[in-house]
Amino acid sequence: MAAPARRLDTQVNFLRKLPQRPILVPDLPPVEPGERDEVRRLREGLEAAVRSKVMSATELVRALAKQHRADFLPTTLEPLDALLGGGLPRGKVVELAGRRSGGRFSIVLAALAAATSAGEAAVLVDLGDHLDPQIAEANGVDLRRLLWIRPEKMKDAVHAVEMIAATGFQLVILDAGLHPIRGRRVAEASWVRLARTAEAQGTAMLISTPYPMTGTASEIVLNAQRVRPKWLGSGKSPRVLAGMTIDVIVDKHRHLKEGRSARLEFMTIEAASR
Amino acid sequence: MTRIACFHVPMFPLAARLRSEPELFSEALAIVEGNGNNAHVVAATRRARKKGIHAGLSLAQSRSIMPKLIARGRDAECERTAQEALLEVAETFSPRIEDASEGIVFVDISGTERHFPSEGELAAAAIRACDAIGLPARCGIASSKLAARIAAELPQSPTIVTRGGEAEFLAPLPLVRLSPQLETAATLHRWGLTSIGELAQLPESEVATRLGELGRELHYAARGIDPRPLIPRPLPPDFREGMDLEWPLVALDPFLFIANAALDRLAKRLEIQGFACRRLEMTLTLEPDGYDARAIDLPAPTRDVKTMLTLIRLDLEKKAPGAPVTGFTFVAMPDRPRRAQLSLFGPAALSPEKLATTIARLISMLGEERVGMPRTVDGNLPDRFAIAAYDPPPPPDISRPPRKSRGLVAARVFRPPIPIEVIRHEDEFVAIKSEGDISGPVRVSSGPWEAEEGWWRNAPNFREYWDVELEKGTYRIYQDEGWFADARYD
Repeated sequence: MAAPARRLDTQVNFLRKLPQRPILVPDLPPVEPGERDEVRRLREGLEAAVRSKVMSATELVRALAKQHRADFLPTTLEPLDALLGGGLPRGKVVELAGRRSGGRFSIVLAALAAATSAGEAAVLVDLGDHLDPQIAEANGVDLRRLLWIRPEKMKDAVHAVEMIAATGFQLVILDAGLHPIRGRRVAEASWVRLARTAEAQGTAMLISTPYPMTGTASEIVLNAQRVRPKWLGSGKSPRVLAGMTIDVIVDKHRHLKEGRSARLEFMTIEAASR
Repeated sequence: MTRIACFHVPMFPLAARLRSEPELFSEALAIVEGNGNNAHVVAATRRARKKGIHAGLSLAQSRSIMPKLIARGRDAECERTAQEALLEVAETFSPRIEDASEGIVFVDISGTERHFPSEGELAAAAIRACDAIGLPARCGIASSKLAARIAAELPQSPTIVTRGGEAEFLAPLPLVRLSPQLETAATLHRWGLTSIGELAQLPESEVATRLGELGRELHYAARGIDPRPLIPRPLPPDFREGMDLEWPLVALDPFLFIANAALDRLAKRLEIQGFACRRLEMTLTLEPDGYDARAIDLPAPTRDVKTMLTLIRLDLEKKAPGAPVTGFTFVAMPDRPRRAQLSLFGPAALSPEKLATTIARLISMLGEERVGMPRTVDGNLPDRFAIAAYDPPPPPDISRPPRKSRGLVAARVFRPPIPIEVIRHEDEFVAIKSEGDISGPVRVSSGPWEAEEGWWRNAPNFREYWDVELEKGTYRIYQDEGWFADARYD
């Protein structure tokens, strides 16, 4: 080891002995902060609605960076949005686990309704082929903006999610259906790849599964639990199913304390129309 | 103002023949039309012309002048390919071209100012491009087709007629340049008119009175007025690429390797024309004989070679040709690629081409009926749905807040419904059994809710639905020919 060390020492000494070269390129002038006159004049000539949107390139870059950092896609379910800090985080994977009438599908439809009603295109990768377009439309989903993919195997579902997220969809939901999941379990590396795709594209990705699957790839893991269904009327044979109460518990969160929960109330169409 | 360039190949039958047989260029060659005694010369090379051979002479007369004259008949296929090559050259200058046949092409060069510093440069470039494909062309540029054609026919090429200077340009030229009918030409000759300018100076009404409608048109032409617009060549119906293989292929990968190159050429040709592929037809030539023809419909026009190759691979994997392949042809049906204006303030729009490519791959992976836009279907029974091609409307110009959720319970539909066994006591549900996990004592039930569809039919669909709460979930069940669970409230 002595010989290479000596050689390195010689090289360093040689570099030190090099004469100082004159600087050919002067320092860059400081960037002027604040709004330029051209942008201000342009802004003054516009309508009030558009005025606030016009920004200089610097402002735009800052705004986009801020938006990228702290942007959420709300589900419009207020307790859930409050629990998540505003909604489904863009560029992150959120896993929603829960078995048997845990309210997972109701949350999925609410998220789809929120995104499509705002004009965003959304995707539902429906592994169990469980979507009823009538119910989705009643929930407020704009079916024209929804891409419905019905794979038969989990591997195809994950592949489809990866392809579709790379296309630029802002909300991609994978509903893995019921237990047991169709097809073999996918490797953890696939979930990591999905998380990277979501981050690169700024896609809000929701994985709805009967049990936790995504491992370390997900930003947040929620556990949906059924409290009890509500019935209108009394006795063993009441008149109508009125709704369900769901508890959503944070099992894992990269930035917030675990164990926090929110209670969600869902109504049936019959109860809502009364 | 529209500017039109005319590419003109003089003595086109001869030029087309020399393009195919360039070794005859320096020979005394005559192109003849007709057979036997009717055979007459339509064009001749310079060496033959020097000896006095010219168009109109019969072959016998020509041979008497020059016994060693080489005669070739007109070749329609040769002329067709030469014309096609001339059109392809013209299309590299402008997408709007008119095929006037017989070695003449009109090109709308409006808007090409940024590509060429001057019209003279464009004309020179066109002549060079035609020379490169073996066609000696002349070029004329003017504001009307007539003036451009006459300019292109002049020996000093290129000729540029300034905007609005058509009448001045035509005035000194002989009347023959307007190609009047023989009778009209004789009349004009009797009147003592020799140049186009002399005709243009006559009163229009007087000329029309004496020569009729043809005379009026001729007078217009003499004044440089040509109302005929450029009629663009219709879109090519398809683009073809193919190859006859030297030896038969039995494996998929070598075939895809060759197909990749052909698709690449196809995509480049489509791109030059501003098209994308909407439908790809593939014909495989099989050994010892026979064909395998198949078509792949793309959900949206695309030029992505990788996508097309993937679709071909999946199609061949799904159904193999069944014999070694000795050749193939790809036919791409062209269509305009979809374009979208991205919004500054609205939600992020999807790139139509990227979306089309992704959907094409998904369809090839999962099947057409498994990818698309869900649609509602009229009816009373709950398990109805339809799926349509995904074609989302453009996003709004300005972002809008999402509508507040109605907070409705969603039902997770089972396709197909799961058969169950129901245990009842005095119209009360006691328990449910099934092979899956829909089992256990019934805590609460409500129903029946009657649903009927097709009452006008002999055997209408009539069902009674119940909602039942088990320990492991709340389900929607119905009685038809048996008991089924068709959804779970989730």
